[in-house]
Amino acid sequence: MGNIKEAELPGLGKKYQAELESGERMVVVIYDEGHRELFYFPPEENEPACSVTLTDQEARQIGSIIGGAFYQPKMLEKLETAIAELRIEWLKIAPGAPIAGKSIGELGLRKNLNVTVIAVIEEERKGKKRTTINPGPGFVFSPGQTVVVAGKAGSIEQFQEMVTGKGE
Amino acid sequence: MLVNLSIIFVLASLAILVAQRFKYCSIPLLILLGIFLGPNAPEFSRANLGLIKNSESIELLSELGVLFLLFYLGLEFSISQVVQNSKTIIKGGSIFTGMNFFRGLVLGWVFFHSWPYALVVAGITTVSSSAMVTKLLVEAKRTANPETELILGMMVYEDIFMAFFLSFLSGYLLAQNSSWLASATGGLVVLVFLALVFFLGRRLGAFFDRLLSMRSAEAFVVIAFTFLLLSANLAEAARISEAVGALLLGLILAETSHAKKLIQMFTPFRDLFGAIFFLSFGMQIDYQQFFSVFDITVWAVVFTIGGNLLAGWLGAWACGYKGAAAANIACSLIARGEFAIIVAGLAASAGMAGMLQPFAALYVLILALVSPLFMKRSKTLYNFFVRLRELVNKPRGIST
Repeated sequence: MGNIKEAELPGLGKKYQAELESGERMVVVIYDEGHRELFYFPPEENEPACSVTLTDQEARQIGSIIGGAFYQPKMLEKLETAIAELRIEWLKIAPGAPIAGKSIGELGLRKNLNVTVIAVIEEERKGKKRTTINPGPGFVFSPGQTVVVAGKAGSIEQFQEMVTGKGE
Repeated sequence: MLVNLSIIFVLASLAILVAQRFKYCSIPLLILLGIFLGPNAPEFSRANLGLIKNSESIELLSELGVLFLLFYLGLEFSISQVVQNSKTIIKGGSIFTGMNFFRGLVLGWVFFHSWPYALVVAGITTVSSSAMVTKLLVEAKRTANPETELILGMMVYEDIFMAFFLSFLSGYLLAQNSSWLASATGGLVVLVFLALVFFLGRRLGAFFDRLLSMRSAEAFVVIAFTFLLLSANLAEAARISEAVGALLLGLILAETSHAKKLIQMFTPFRDLFGAIFFLSFGMQIDYQQFFSVFDITVWAVVFTIGGNLLAGWLGAWACGYKGAAAANIACSLIARGEFAIIVAGLAASAGMAGMLQPFAALYVLILALVSPLFMKRSKTLYNFFVRLRELVNKPRGIST
């Protein structure tokens, strides 16, 4: 996300200008009387192409919708959640990955990499899925499984290489 | 007495409702109502339009209106806004306001051949109406445009200029019966006084801060209003205009921690009594005087628009705006309003009644009609200008 510029509009209110990744600009003007006006500027344009005015109430509601308070987008195949430093990732084991055929204890994941395997999802026949929560040290990885793993960003990246990368 | 007052407020409400309906500023309509329904209303054989009668109560309300308008100007006076992007605003604002003021002085001198009159004409024609311009900007959906920041900044600069100018003018006009030098000193004394208040404002502000820190809203509003009346009285006793007293108090209180609360509490008062001030200004004017000031008003309008376009464009250019954005800046600041009327009112109270008030009223009315056209057609004007430049440049291109 690009930068958001804030500017005072003396006598009117405040202006927030967001440069979007697409090169377009979106400007929100908050008037002192309480209503908001949204403007859309096409790339390289200095005149707005369109605008919409919201009352204070409407602006609050729509603001929380955009913020995802009511509905959050469905998880995509690869879910990436970052809360402070903790990351939780869903990784699919590639055929011939370094960890395929090895057990959790053998790899020493917790000791060596400082990552914890939370769960493993295996695909059985007929599309049915079996989930093993908190697998023990004896659990053996095999290609096709999805590993849910928790750890710090750096450790997760290292682990990711072992899961997806082509091994020796 | 209440009947007369009710009629006035019914009319003012109607004017404001009509203005709202057309998303327009109410000031010109209020003046018009005052002219055509006031004591100088046109008389027909069957009906007399003069619904509103001049009375002491209306005079009092309109006087309070000026006090509130100027008190508010002082309160809103925030240097921080100018300092924020000071360099561009000071550069653009100085060029714009300076050129307009000079143009006003020249016009006034050509019209009346007298310095006090020239100063008043300059006061009437220099500063644009923030109320009208912001309304027009919102209406034209241009509040988010990059150049609008400069337009609004220039208006803040104009407000500051007006604070100083009004102080100078009131001192100058009150001493004007004596020699030229004495009146100029009179103006300068007030100006120095203002500067002093301005720089001591923080000290005085701390004092008022303690005086006004109370929980009860009732006590707060009554005491603040009392200060306003006292400062107006004090200013009058010191032979400055009451309006300047209100302005000075506003400036001082703007430095306190209560500034925001004061603005919130006194905005309704400003709107309420300000409306009566504009209406009562119209009531002092006989529409038949319009004929005698018509020619100078038209000249003033023409030169204001021309001068404004040039000054706005130069100011914009100095601040790095080019092309259509510069045209927008130049075309935006044409409306005149509250300050023109306040200056004309100040002149009237200094004994300069006569030509100046109908001139100011007609001038504001004509510009109120013309300025939205410029705001909306700034692009057309710019394209026309570009084509003109091409025409001028072409022959030169062929010869080389």
